Amino acid sequence: MLAAFLPLGAPALPLDEAGKYVAGAYIVFVLLLVIYVGIMATKLQRIEKELREVASVAEQRAAESQAAPRRGPEGSSISDSLTPQGSRGGGA
Amino acid sequence: MYGKGLKPLSIATVVAFAVGFSLVFFYAPLDADQGFIQKIFYLHVPLASTALIGFVVGGIFAILHLRTDNNKWDAYSYVAIHISVIFGVGVLITGAIWAKASWGHWWVWDEPTLVSFLIVFLLYCTYYPFRYAIEDRDRQARYASVFAVTAGAFVPLNFLAVRMAQQLVHPRVFATSEGGLPGSMLLTFLVCFVAVALLWVTLVKFELTAKSASGQVNRLRRALDAPGPTGSSRIAPEVS
Repeated sequence: MLAAFLPLGAPALPLDEAGKYVAGAYIVFVLLLVIYVGIMATKLQRIEKELREVASVAEQRAAESQAAPRRGPEGSSISDSLTPQGSRGGGA
Repeated sequence: MYGKGLKPLSIATVVAFAVGFSLVFFYAPLDADQGFIQKIFYLHVPLASTALIGFVVGGIFAILHLRTDNNKWDAYSYVAIHISVIFGVGVLITGAIWAKASWGHWWVWDEPTLVSFLIVFLLYCTYYPFRYAIEDRDRQARYASVFAVTAGAFVPLNFLAVRMAQQLVHPRVFATSEGGLPGSMLLTFLVCFVAVALLWVTLVKFELTAKSASGQVNRLRRALDAPGPTGSSRIAPEVS
């Protein structure tokens, strides 16, 4: 059955016809790469956003710890204000 | 430091592809039987070989994880399989394009090479839901490693079984009879294979670097006791 459509002895496809298939295969490869790079770029943006958030928390904490001695020991706990419901976050 | 050496590796990959594709279109002669359509093989076959080797490498990393209980190896195994699955998509699409041009059909179910690759590909596609299904990180890593070892052992067995099969209408690149590839074609093929293998290594390193960066952010977040992001992934292993 298979031999019926296997052109093993038949002449090769002419260049104008074969060209579009070859171009298609190589374009698919490049497209896959571009999609992958696009997904990785999105991931990288997310990491950058998270890093910015963590940096702002650290800066906020540093500023509050500098202000804390002036407020005295009654000042609110920074750790408590940053961890609602006592969650450790992480989200790994 | 997973990103170490990523830049020279990326440059080497680009150079290898530039040389490889130049050889494909300007140096390698047209195949007497297939003509221009055979040029697809310089992409399709290295992608297939690298994907299959990548699956085996993923299994080797999984063995290291099971032996040492170091989660780093689990991450390596996950990433190796992940990149190989992406390469597998490329193999199936480029193979289908070649089949349509050469056989007149996008897919042939009677051909062991095609069906066996599809089975291996689908087997590795189940790796993701298998991982997603387990909540506990340690169990997830262990079970995923057992899967990777078992599936990794299946790949060479499957390859040998197909090689020994009677019906071989799928062309052989490294034929043991009828002369095999002429020198110019073999050189082109080897350069393309090196380029695709370099791409695999680069993407694995790239992915590991991204995971490491994400892991470092999470460590920092935990150290600061700050709330975590809402949409972060719980599936992929974390690299620290």
